[in-house]
Amino acid sequence: MIASFDVIQSGLALGLVVVAFACLFDRHLLRASALFVLFALLMSVSWWYLSAPWLALTELVLGMVLTGGSFFYALRAFPSAAMAAPHVDGSQHVLSHRLTRGLLALAWCAMIGVAIHYVMPEMAYSFAGHPLILASIVIAATAMGAFALHRHLLRRLLAFNILGSGVFILLAGMAGTVSGAQALISVGLTIAWLGTLLGVMLIRHLVILEGVSALEDENDAAGQAQ
Amino acid sequence: MNAAWLPLTTLATSLLAAAVIFLLPEEARRLRTSINLLAAVSKIILVALMVVRVSQGYEDTFSFQIVGGVEFVLRADALGVMFAGLSSLLWLCTTIYAIGYLEGAANRKRFFGFFSLCVASTLGIALAGNLFTFLIFYEMLTLSTYPLVVHSGTAKALAAGRVYLRYTLTAGVVLLLGVVLLYSLTNDYSFASEEGLSPYLNDHRGLLTLIFVLLVGGLAVKAAMVPLHGWLPRAMVAPAPVSALLHAVAVVKAGAFGILRVIYDLYGIELSVQLGVTTWLAVAASITIIYGSLRAIAQQELKPRLAFSTISQVSYVVLGVSLFGPFGTIGALAHLLHQGFMKVTLFFCAGNYAEELGIHRIDEMDGAGKRMPLTSLAFTVGALGMIGLPPIAGFITKWYLGVGAIQAEMYWVVAVLVASSTLNAVYFLPIVHRLWFREGPAHGKGAWPKEQRLGRLETHGWLLWPAVFTALVSIGAGLLAGLPFSPLDWATRVAVGEYLP
Amino acid sequence: MIERFGLHESTFDPLWYTHWALAATLVLPILAGLLGARCAPRRLFPVALACLPILLAGALLVFDYQQAGLLRWQWQVAGVEISLRFNGLSGLMLMITQWVGAAAALYTPGHLRITHPGKRARWLWPLMGVLISSLSLIWLAADLLTLYAALELMGLAAVGMLLLSGKPAALKAGIRYLLLALVGSLAYLLGVALLLGYWGALGLQALAEVVEPGPVTWVAAALIGAGLALKAALFPLHGWLTPVHENAWTPVSALHAALVIKASLFILLMLWSILLPGTLLAPRFVAWLGMLAIVWGGLIAWRADSLKTLVASSTVGQLGYLMVAFPLLLGPSITPLAEALAWEGFWLHLMGHSLAKAAMFMAAGNLIIATGESSLRGLSGTSRRLPLSLLIFGIAAVTLMGLPPSAGFTAKWLLLQALVISQQWVAVAALLAGTLLTAAYVFRVFRYSFDETAPRHQYQPLAPGMDIIALCLALAAFALGLLAHLPLALIQGGGV
Repeated sequence: MIASFDVIQSGLALGLVVVAFACLFDRHLLRASALFVLFALLMSVSWWYLSAPWLALTELVLGMVLTGGSFFYALRAFPSAAMAAPHVDGSQHVLSHRLTRGLLALAWCAMIGVAIHYVMPEMAYSFAGHPLILASIVIAATAMGAFALHRHLLRRLLAFNILGSGVFILLAGMAGTVSGAQALISVGLTIAWLGTLLGVMLIRHLVILEGVSALEDENDAAGQAQ
Repeated sequence: MNAAWLPLTTLATSLLAAAVIFLLPEEARRLRTSINLLAAVSKIILVALMVVRVSQGYEDTFSFQIVGGVEFVLRADALGVMFAGLSSLLWLCTTIYAIGYLEGAANRKRFFGFFSLCVASTLGIALAGNLFTFLIFYEMLTLSTYPLVVHSGTAKALAAGRVYLRYTLTAGVVLLLGVVLLYSLTNDYSFASEEGLSPYLNDHRGLLTLIFVLLVGGLAVKAAMVPLHGWLPRAMVAPAPVSALLHAVAVVKAGAFGILRVIYDLYGIELSVQLGVTTWLAVAASITIIYGSLRAIAQQELKPRLAFSTISQVSYVVLGVSLFGPFGTIGALAHLLHQGFMKVTLFFCAGNYAEELGIHRIDEMDGAGKRMPLTSLAFTVGALGMIGLPPIAGFITKWYLGVGAIQAEMYWVVAVLVASSTLNAVYFLPIVHRLWFREGPAHGKGAWPKEQRLGRLETHGWLLWPAVFTALVSIGAGLLAGLPFSPLDWATRVAVGEYLP
Repeated sequence: MIERFGLHESTFDPLWYTHWALAATLVLPILAGLLGARCAPRRLFPVALACLPILLAGALLVFDYQQAGLLRWQWQVAGVEISLRFNGLSGLMLMITQWVGAAAALYTPGHLRITHPGKRARWLWPLMGVLISSLSLIWLAADLLTLYAALELMGLAAVGMLLLSGKPAALKAGIRYLLLALVGSLAYLLGVALLLGYWGALGLQALAEVVEPGPVTWVAAALIGAGLALKAALFPLHGWLTPVHENAWTPVSALHAALVIKASLFILLMLWSILLPGTLLAPRFVAWLGMLAIVWGGLIAWRADSLKTLVASSTVGQLGYLMVAFPLLLGPSITPLAEALAWEGFWLHLMGHSLAKAAMFMAAGNLIIATGESSLRGLSGTSRRLPLSLLIFGIAAVTLMGLPPSAGFTAKWLLLQALVISQQWVAVAALLAGTLLTAAYVFRVFRYSFDETAPRHQYQPLAPGMDIIALCLALAAFALGLLAHLPLALIQGGGV
């Protein structure tokens, strides 16, 4: 019985990781958005599986429908050619910028590692015992890296959402699905949705004003010019 | 009976005047003039009232708490009232002069607003009852004089303003550090406290010396002691009334007055002597006196020469303080007043020459005595007073300082005084000679640089009468020095209060 | 230490009208904002009318606190305990929030009338309402969940407001700020998760009772600290601050610089004093960063070419003063006197800076509107034409420089005294150097303004009240400096 549980959990975890990776590193924006919806669905299932039905529902509504919908809403403002074409980061970061960002992401991973080490010491002995948490660590770390290195605003927004999901599972893993944790995650989901909505509206505005090229985070280029 | 309203109202008159002037439109010239004069006159009345109260033995105090352990205190004590009297009397003269001087100029609202604010700060410095309050007004003075220094808005004025700020704000920071150190050592400390800081002498000798250096160092910048004097000659780009105010009353005197406060009311003379700081102060003052005089001789323009003369003269006050004796003290205090009257006269006259005849350089002054007799008379009185000739006020202070030096057995100070008087003569007498005994444009030789006929008299009445008045006061303070309420009498009262508590 | 934040049992239950005052404080700003979106007020009067009950409610709460001492509320919602508390510090922060908020709201109609921003302006009112409400909630919240929700709500409202100007540069800066703020909040959330997982408590008071120093606490404190420092623009995480302010509307900048970043700082200090009482390293680290911030902030403000950049950059340095006080508030073996002085100085500086910075942004905004130029060079000759705006700028600058008679000075005095007593001479030097640096960049502005040789521009007349409101704020900073013991009496009462 236990083994079968583990299989489902491991499957879920594997699915989450794969979808998250695909979503983070797919240069095709439309496909990435679709992958995000799939990721949110998997998240919802995971919550269900972790016996937090309300959270599953919240994730379904807020994460999948509303947040996912927001991304599609943003893409509607794009000219169709830009939407279909794979996005390639054009300009390069300044080296020091890349370095700091990389270091920040690493610090983030290190902190997660330490947190896991102390709060769930048993993790150190059986990684396989908590596949979902393992998955969440991988997701959170990768998403942080993607967030730090991506330049396209929409992709950064996607990375943030996936990072958020990773943190939520981590939270549930560390604190259990007690009511306090559920409340925190619900608030977090709401905030993530509102933030995404705000970001999406901004992106739309920016695209309408200045075209798709404006979505490359120009600040670094400006810093380089100076 | 404590009339707390008295110091507060005296302060508030100028603050209120400043606020009202800022609120009035630029065009409301008459109203602004009336408010200025009204405030100046009512302030003189209030200060006179304070003088009476102090001579009756009251010390009116107004105070409220700022934070725990720190209070805002205004106290009308003898020393403070003395300085307040000087500033309010000279404020009236300078205001009248400034009204005439700035006739038709731009930005008069800003000028008079900050002018009032500047005098309010000076008055606050005079009446401050503890170091914290003193610091508040001291910094306010810095801020309110900056717009006056850069008033003309030329590149030179702006550069001078920058230098002025660099010096005074740094000094303010040093002073702040000293005050904070003192407060963390002793908590709130009133100038009226009797025992001084002597209880701390044994345990904190080094710290006390450090604090003294910080405090006096911070104050010495405003008092323009060498080598911290750099801002003063540059600030000469300001309009003449501002120069008069900076030199005679506000900024320079605030520094000197602060040093008086620190030594008399904070540390106490005995403690200062025990710390061994007074000798160093006397040396520094002597260097300043001689250096200032020497530099003054080298100046070819009138206002810079007067500026260096100020540097030299203000240090007499510091010198007198550091002599450690009743006569030195009386000399120092009386000089604070006398120098104010004489120097303001000189600056008024310099302004008159510049306005009426366009004279800026000394070699342009030939024969100006014939063209502008009253102004030149006033200038002569001021110059002779600076040299120290009787019966003008300057003589009295030099006499007292000399006696004080002999009493303190510091004979080299006498030498410094003699040397300084000689140098004063060297840079003032040629000017007087040019004024009266050289032939110039007034005798039909050449022409004035830029002559304007500003009034029926030799120049505009608003410019002339303040100069004449302050010259008369300078003579009066010397001639009538024995009368009650003369500057000397009041200085004696303060000094006796210090030495015979 | 934690008693000072009001995390202890209260003696009396709140009175019946206190509940209403609380509800009014938290809900009325949003309602007023919605009303504003509906009616789009164009005059001062209706705005003042809407602000009045909110201000009254805040005053009533403070009055109740003075009568009854600490006020506490607790509710169970879906198995989660929500708790609020109102102590002197909350009261002080609430008053500052409401008054600065009211000033910004009163400034807005005039600003909108002159700048003609179009239909987007409608959104400003509800966002402002949400911002004030969530700020009020932050000062009151006594559990990590409420704090999180309020913090995020505030952050989103702030981003929304900053973006309203709609310029592409503003949008880009805004989205950068949004992303950073969101990631910062995830760091905070992870820290909270750690605490919840390990100590099993969300309420601050309960947490304070069980928490013990150890790696978990340290990691949680580090995560929370990093997240909040990012939101509070603490050096060296301040990069987003200047571009955001550069393009935002004046009242929005004023609110943001005066209040929003302070909220993160408040939470940071509160949580660290629960998690890290008596630790040496972390507060010391923050203090060193603070000293660097004072110098660096001063330097970038000094080099700034545009007025708004200058004002915004000065915030970085000013926050440095607050960071310098961290070891005195949290560190071990600090004498009670030094701690009390630093505590008072910290909050006084925070309040004084709020008032002065809001006034300064408004004055700068007025100057920019009137001259039509945002560069410092564009200010040439303004001392003749716009003396009042410039005077307000000057008065606000006096507070920032920490010169008397301002709140900045009194606060600096208290901090200096605390630092001298605890013998932290480097910090003393940094504080004093900060004064000079601030003076350097402030007087750069004045040097341009006194320049009389400049060509005369056509000046746009300002709406009535725009200068007066800024002047009131700037003078309030003066009054706060001179009468500091009155507000500080409120925060001395909270135990200790």
